[in-house]
Amino acid sequence: MHNRAVRWVGWVFSWLVPANEREALLGDLAEEYALRAQGASCAAAFRWYLRQVCVSAPPLLWVRVARAAWPGTVGVALLAYVAVAVVEITVNWAIAHLSAVGAAAYNPLGMALTFPMVVLIGYFAAGYRRSAAIVLAVMMLLAVSVMTLTTTEHVPLWYRVAYFLVGPAAAFIGSGLSRGRSGR
Amino acid sequence: MVGLSNHLLYNIKDMKKGQDPLGSLEHVVLLSVMRLGTNAYGVSVRRDIQGTTGRDISIGAVYATLMRMQSKGFIRSYTGEPTAERGGRAKRYFRMTAGGESALRNTHEIILKMSAGLKGLQVS
Repeated sequence: MHNRAVRWVGWVFSWLVPANEREALLGDLAEEYALRAQGASCAAAFRWYLRQVCVSAPPLLWVRVARAAWPGTVGVALLAYVAVAVVEITVNWAIAHLSAVGAAAYNPLGMALTFPMVVLIGYFAAGYRRSAAIVLAVMMLLAVSVMTLTTTEHVPLWYRVAYFLVGPAAAFIGSGLSRGRSGR
Repeated sequence: MVGLSNHLLYNIKDMKKGQDPLGSLEHVVLLSVMRLGTNAYGVSVRRDIQGTTGRDISIGAVYATLMRMQSKGFIRSYTGEPTAERGGRAKRYFRMTAGGESALRNTHEIILKMSAGLKGLQVS
Protein backbone atom coordinates (compact mmCIF):
# COMPACT_ATOMS: atom_id res chain seq x y z
CA MET A 1 0.00 0.00 0.00
CA HIS A 2 2.78 2.40 0.95
CA ASN A 3 4.71 1.69 -2.22
CA ARG A 4 1.73 2.69 -4.33
CA ALA A 5 1.24 5.85 -2.25
CA VAL A 6 4.93 6.68 -2.68
CA ARG A 7 4.58 6.32 -6.44
CA TRP A 8 1.57 8.69 -6.46
CA VAL A 9 3.24 11.27 -4.24
CA GLY A 10 6.41 11.00 -6.34
CA TRP A 11 4.43 11.51 -9.53
CA VAL A 12 2.76 14.67 -8.16
CA PHE A 13 6.09 15.91 -6.80
CA SER A 14 7.81 15.36 -10.16
CA TRP A 15 5.78 18.28 -11.59
CA LEU A 16 7.53 20.64 -9.21
CA VAL A 17 11.06 19.45 -9.95
CA PRO A 18 12.98 21.14 -12.80
CA ALA A 19 13.08 18.71 -15.75
CA ASN A 20 16.89 18.34 -15.78
CA GLU A 21 17.05 17.15 -12.19
CA ARG A 22 13.80 15.17 -12.10
CA GLU A 23 15.24 11.71 -12.63
CA ALA A 24 18.17 12.15 -10.24
CA LEU A 25 16.09 13.73 -7.48
CA LEU A 26 13.26 11.18 -7.64
CA GLY A 27 15.89 8.43 -7.76
CA ASP A 28 17.54 9.84 -4.64
CA LEU A 29 14.20 9.94 -2.85
CA ALA A 30 13.43 6.36 -3.93
CA GLU A 31 16.88 5.16 -2.80
CA GLU A 32 16.58 6.70 0.65
CA TYR A 33 12.97 5.55 1.01
CA ALA A 34 14.03 1.97 0.24
CA LEU A 35 16.85 2.18 2.81
CA ARG A 36 14.49 3.52 5.47
CA ALA A 37 11.78 0.96 4.66
CA GLN A 38 14.33 -1.83 5.21
CA GLY A 39 15.70 -0.33 8.43
CA ALA A 40 12.45 0.83 10.04
CA SER A 41 8.80 0.31 9.07
CA CYS A 42 7.23 1.15 5.72
CA ALA A 43 4.89 3.60 7.48
CA ALA A 44 7.82 5.50 9.01
CA ALA A 45 9.61 5.54 5.65
CA PHE A 46 6.45 6.85 3.98
CA ARG A 47 6.11 9.61 6.58
CA TRP A 48 9.73 10.58 5.90
CA TYR A 49 9.04 10.58 2.15
CA LEU A 50 5.95 12.74 2.54
CA ARG A 51 7.80 15.20 4.77
CA GLN A 52 10.70 15.41 2.28
CA VAL A 53 8.27 16.18 -0.54
CA CYS A 54 6.53 18.90 1.50
CA VAL A 55 9.69 20.67 2.67
CA SER A 56 11.44 20.25 -0.70
CA ALA A 57 8.67 21.93 -2.68
CA PRO A 58 9.37 25.61 -1.77
CA PRO A 59 13.12 25.68 -2.68
CA LEU A 60 12.49 23.72 -5.90
CA LEU A 61 9.60 25.99 -6.87
CA TRP A 62 11.85 28.97 -6.28
CA VAL A 63 14.49 27.46 -8.60
CA ARG A 64 11.85 27.09 -11.31
CA VAL A 65 10.67 30.67 -10.87
CA ALA A 66 14.25 31.98 -10.86
CA ARG A 67 15.11 30.05 -14.04
CA ALA A 68 12.10 31.22 -16.03
CA ALA A 69 12.56 34.64 -17.65
CA TRP A 70 9.29 36.63 -17.43
CA PRO A 71 7.50 34.73 -14.68
CA GLY A 72 10.66 35.16 -12.60
CA THR A 73 10.82 38.88 -13.25
CA VAL A 74 7.15 39.36 -12.38
CA GLY A 75 7.57 37.12 -9.33
CA VAL A 76 10.49 39.19 -8.03
CA ALA A 77 8.60 42.42 -8.81
CA LEU A 78 5.56 41.14 -6.88
CA LEU A 79 7.73 40.26 -3.89
CA ALA A 80 9.32 43.70 -4.09
CA TYR A 81 5.85 45.25 -4.26
CA VAL A 82 4.85 43.42 -1.08
CA ALA A 83 8.08 44.64 0.55
CA VAL A 84 7.25 48.23 -0.46
CA ALA A 85 3.75 47.86 1.01
CA VAL A 86 5.17 46.51 4.27
CA VAL A 87 7.66 49.40 4.46
CA GLU A 88 4.94 51.95 3.77
CA ILE A 89 2.56 50.50 6.36
CA THR A 90 5.34 50.27 8.95
CA VAL A 91 6.53 53.85 8.36
CA ASN A 92 2.97 55.25 8.52
CA TRP A 93 2.25 53.23 11.65
CA ALA A 94 5.48 54.43 13.29
CA ILE A 95 4.77 58.06 12.44
CA ALA A 96 1.21 57.81 13.74
CA HIS A 97 2.33 56.22 17.01
CA LEU A 98 5.53 58.14 17.68
CA SER A 99 4.57 61.58 16.47
CA ALA A 100 3.44 64.00 19.17
CA VAL A 101 0.76 65.41 16.90
CA GLY A 102 -0.68 61.97 16.23
CA ALA A 103 -1.57 60.56 12.85
CA ALA A 104 -0.94 63.08 10.13
CA ALA A 105 -2.75 61.88 7.01
CA TYR A 106 -0.47 63.52 4.48
CA ASN A 107 2.92 63.59 6.12
CA PRO A 108 5.97 64.45 3.98
CA LEU A 109 8.14 62.67 6.57
CA GLY A 110 6.51 59.38 5.60
CA MET A 111 7.51 59.86 1.97
CA ALA A 112 11.01 60.98 2.93
CA LEU A 113 11.49 57.83 5.02
CA THR A 114 9.93 55.49 2.46
CA PHE A 115 11.92 56.83 -0.50
CA PRO A 116 15.38 55.37 0.39
CA MET A 117 13.77 52.08 1.40
CA VAL A 118 12.09 51.78 -2.02
CA VAL A 119 15.43 52.65 -3.68
CA LEU A 120 17.01 49.75 -1.75
CA ILE A 121 14.15 47.39 -2.61
CA GLY A 122 14.44 48.39 -6.29
CA TYR A 123 18.20 47.88 -6.10
CA PHE A 124 17.93 44.36 -4.73
CA ALA A 125 15.03 43.44 -7.05
CA ALA A 126 17.12 44.51 -10.05
CA GLY A 127 20.00 42.46 -8.64
CA TYR A 128 17.86 39.32 -8.84
CA ARG A 129 16.14 40.19 -12.12
CA ARG A 130 17.42 43.02 -14.25
CA SER A 131 13.96 44.25 -15.26
CA ALA A 132 12.20 43.58 -11.94
CA ALA A 133 12.66 47.15 -10.62
CA ILE A 134 11.17 48.56 -13.82
CA VAL A 135 8.18 46.22 -13.49
CA LEU A 136 7.92 47.32 -9.84
CA ALA A 137 7.89 51.00 -10.89
CA VAL A 138 5.14 50.31 -13.44
CA MET A 139 3.13 48.39 -10.84
CA MET A 140 3.42 51.27 -8.38
CA LEU A 141 2.45 53.77 -11.07
CA LEU A 142 -0.64 51.72 -11.93
CA ALA A 143 -1.60 51.29 -8.27
CA VAL A 144 -1.22 55.02 -7.57
CA SER A 145 -3.23 55.88 -10.71
CA VAL A 146 -6.08 53.58 -9.66
CA MET A 147 -6.05 54.93 -6.09
CA THR A 148 -5.97 58.54 -7.28
CA LEU A 149 -8.87 57.99 -9.67
CA THR A 150 -11.04 56.06 -7.25
CA THR A 151 -10.50 57.94 -3.98
CA THR A 152 -13.34 60.06 -2.64
CA GLU A 153 -11.15 61.81 -0.05
CA HIS A 154 -9.83 65.30 -0.53
CA VAL A 155 -6.11 64.87 -1.14
CA PRO A 156 -3.83 67.93 -1.41
CA LEU A 157 -2.40 68.44 -4.89
CA TRP A 158 1.23 68.36 -3.69
CA TYR A 159 0.59 64.98 -2.12
CA ARG A 160 -1.02 63.61 -5.29
CA VAL A 161 1.94 64.73 -7.41
CA ALA A 162 4.52 63.49 -4.91
CA TYR A 163 2.68 60.20 -4.42
CA PHE A 164 2.68 59.76 -8.17
CA LEU A 165 6.40 60.39 -8.51
CA VAL A 166 8.16 59.18 -5.36
CA GLY A 167 7.56 55.42 -5.51
CA PRO A 168 8.21 54.84 -9.23
CA ALA A 169 11.17 57.27 -9.19
CA ALA A 170 12.72 55.44 -6.24
CA ALA A 171 12.34 52.09 -8.01
CA PHE A 172 13.96 53.55 -11.15
CA ILE A 173 16.86 54.93 -9.12
CA GLY A 174 17.34 51.53 -7.46
CA SER A 175 17.39 49.90 -10.88
CA GLY A 176 19.90 52.48 -12.14
CA LEU A 177 22.18 51.90 -9.15
CA SER A 178 22.06 48.15 -9.70
CA ARG A 179 22.84 48.50 -13.42
CA GLY A 180 25.66 50.90 -12.59
CA ARG A 181 27.18 48.35 -10.22
CA SER A 182 26.94 45.40 -12.62
CA GLY A 183 28.19 47.56 -15.52
CA ARG A 184 31.51 48.28 -13.79
CA MET B 1 21.16 59.94 -1.33
CA VAL B 2 23.45 58.32 -3.88
CA GLY B 3 26.35 58.79 -1.46
CA LEU B 4 24.40 57.06 1.30
CA SER B 5 23.45 54.17 -0.98
CA ASN B 6 27.06 53.83 -2.08
CA HIS B 7 28.14 53.70 1.54
CA LEU B 8 25.45 51.17 2.50
CA LEU B 9 26.21 48.97 -0.47
CA TYR B 10 29.99 49.30 -0.24
CA ASN B 11 30.62 45.62 0.44
CA ILE B 12 28.28 44.32 -2.23
CA LYS B 13 29.74 46.70 -4.82
CA ASP B 14 33.31 45.70 -4.04
CA MET B 15 32.73 42.00 -4.49
CA LYS B 16 33.84 40.71 -7.84
CA LYS B 17 31.82 37.96 -9.47
CA GLY B 18 33.02 34.57 -8.27
CA GLN B 19 34.61 36.07 -5.17
CA ASP B 20 31.39 36.53 -3.25
CA PRO B 21 31.49 34.59 0.00
CA LEU B 22 29.30 31.50 -0.07
CA GLY B 23 25.99 31.40 1.79
CA SER B 24 25.82 29.15 4.84
CA LEU B 25 24.09 26.28 3.02
CA GLU B 26 26.24 26.68 -0.10
CA HIS B 27 29.33 26.53 2.09
CA VAL B 28 28.26 23.32 3.82
CA VAL B 29 27.10 21.63 0.59
CA LEU B 30 30.28 22.55 -1.27
CA LEU B 31 32.42 21.23 1.61
CA SER B 32 30.45 18.00 1.48
CA VAL B 33 30.95 17.68 -2.29
CA MET B 34 34.68 18.15 -1.68
CA ARG B 35 34.75 15.60 1.15
CA LEU B 36 32.83 12.96 -0.81
CA GLY B 37 34.99 13.28 -3.92
CA THR B 38 33.78 10.92 -6.64
CA ASN B 39 30.79 9.72 -4.59
CA ALA B 40 29.00 13.07 -4.24
CA TYR B 41 25.34 12.80 -5.21
CA GLY B 42 22.06 13.93 -3.61
CA VAL B 43 21.67 11.17 -1.01
CA SER B 44 25.35 11.03 -0.01
CA VAL B 45 25.58 14.83 0.32
CA ARG B 46 22.40 14.99 2.44
CA ARG B 47 23.57 12.15 4.68
CA ASP B 48 27.09 13.53 5.01
CA ILE B 49 25.73 16.91 6.16
CA GLN B 50 23.28 15.29 8.55
CA GLY B 51 25.90 12.93 9.96
CA THR B 52 28.53 15.63 10.41
CA THR B 53 26.52 18.66 11.47
CA GLY B 54 23.27 17.12 12.73
CA ARG B 55 21.40 19.43 10.36
CA ASP B 56 18.45 17.68 8.68
CA ILE B 57 18.33 19.33 5.26
CA SER B 58 15.64 18.37 2.77
CA ILE B 59 16.70 16.77 -0.49
CA GLY B 60 15.00 19.67 -2.32
CA ALA B 61 17.14 22.23 -0.49
CA VAL B 62 20.27 20.20 -1.32
CA TYR B 63 19.35 20.10 -5.01
CA ALA B 64 18.34 23.77 -5.14
CA THR B 65 21.76 24.64 -3.68
CA LEU B 66 23.61 22.29 -6.02
CA MET B 67 21.78 23.75 -9.05
CA ARG B 68 22.58 27.30 -7.96
CA MET B 69 26.25 26.44 -7.51
CA GLN B 70 26.33 24.68 -10.85
CA SER B 71 25.00 27.82 -12.55
CA LYS B 72 27.74 29.80 -10.78
CA GLY B 73 30.33 27.36 -12.10
CA PHE B 74 31.40 26.07 -8.67
CA ILE B 75 30.50 22.46 -9.46
CA ARG B 76 29.82 20.36 -12.52
CA SER B 77 27.70 17.23 -12.80
CA TYR B 78 27.54 14.02 -14.75
CA THR B 79 25.00 11.21 -14.92
CA GLY B 80 25.80 7.75 -13.57
CA GLU B 81 24.27 4.39 -14.36
CA PRO B 82 20.62 3.63 -13.46
CA THR B 83 20.17 1.20 -10.55
CA ALA B 84 17.27 -1.03 -9.47
CA GLU B 85 17.19 0.29 -5.88
CA ARG B 86 16.45 3.74 -7.34
CA GLY B 87 13.55 2.49 -9.45
CA GLY B 88 15.76 2.37 -12.54
CA ARG B 89 16.75 6.01 -12.24
CA ALA B 90 20.30 7.23 -12.73
CA LYS B 91 22.36 9.11 -10.14
CA ARG B 92 23.61 12.62 -10.80
CA TYR B 93 27.16 12.98 -9.48
CA PHE B 94 28.70 16.34 -8.63
CA ARG B 95 32.34 17.41 -8.71
CA MET B 96 33.88 20.62 -7.51
CA THR B 97 35.52 22.89 -10.09
CA ALA B 98 38.53 25.18 -9.68
CA GLY B 99 36.06 28.09 -9.33
CA GLY B 100 34.32 26.25 -6.49
CA GLU B 101 37.62 25.61 -4.75
CA SER B 102 38.50 29.28 -5.04
CA ALA B 103 35.09 30.34 -3.64
CA LEU B 104 35.53 27.89 -0.77
CA ARG B 105 39.02 29.20 -0.02
CA ASN B 106 37.76 32.79 -0.14
CA THR B 107 34.92 32.05 2.30
CA HIS B 108 37.22 30.11 4.59
CA GLU B 109 39.68 33.00 4.60
CA ILE B 110 36.93 35.48 5.54
CA ILE B 111 35.79 33.25 8.43
CA LEU B 112 39.37 32.84 9.67
CA LYS B 113 40.03 36.58 9.49
CA MET B 114 36.79 37.46 11.24
CA SER B 115 37.27 34.91 14.00
CA ALA B 116 41.01 35.49 14.53
CA GLY B 117 41.76 36.20 18.16
CA LEU B 118 38.24 35.58 19.37
CA LYS B 119 38.33 33.45 22.47
CA GLY B 120 35.79 30.68 22.91
CA LEU B 121 35.65 29.75 19.22
CA GLN B 122 38.24 26.98 19.35
CA VAL B 123 36.87 23.69 18.01
CA SER B 124 37.46 20.79 20.38
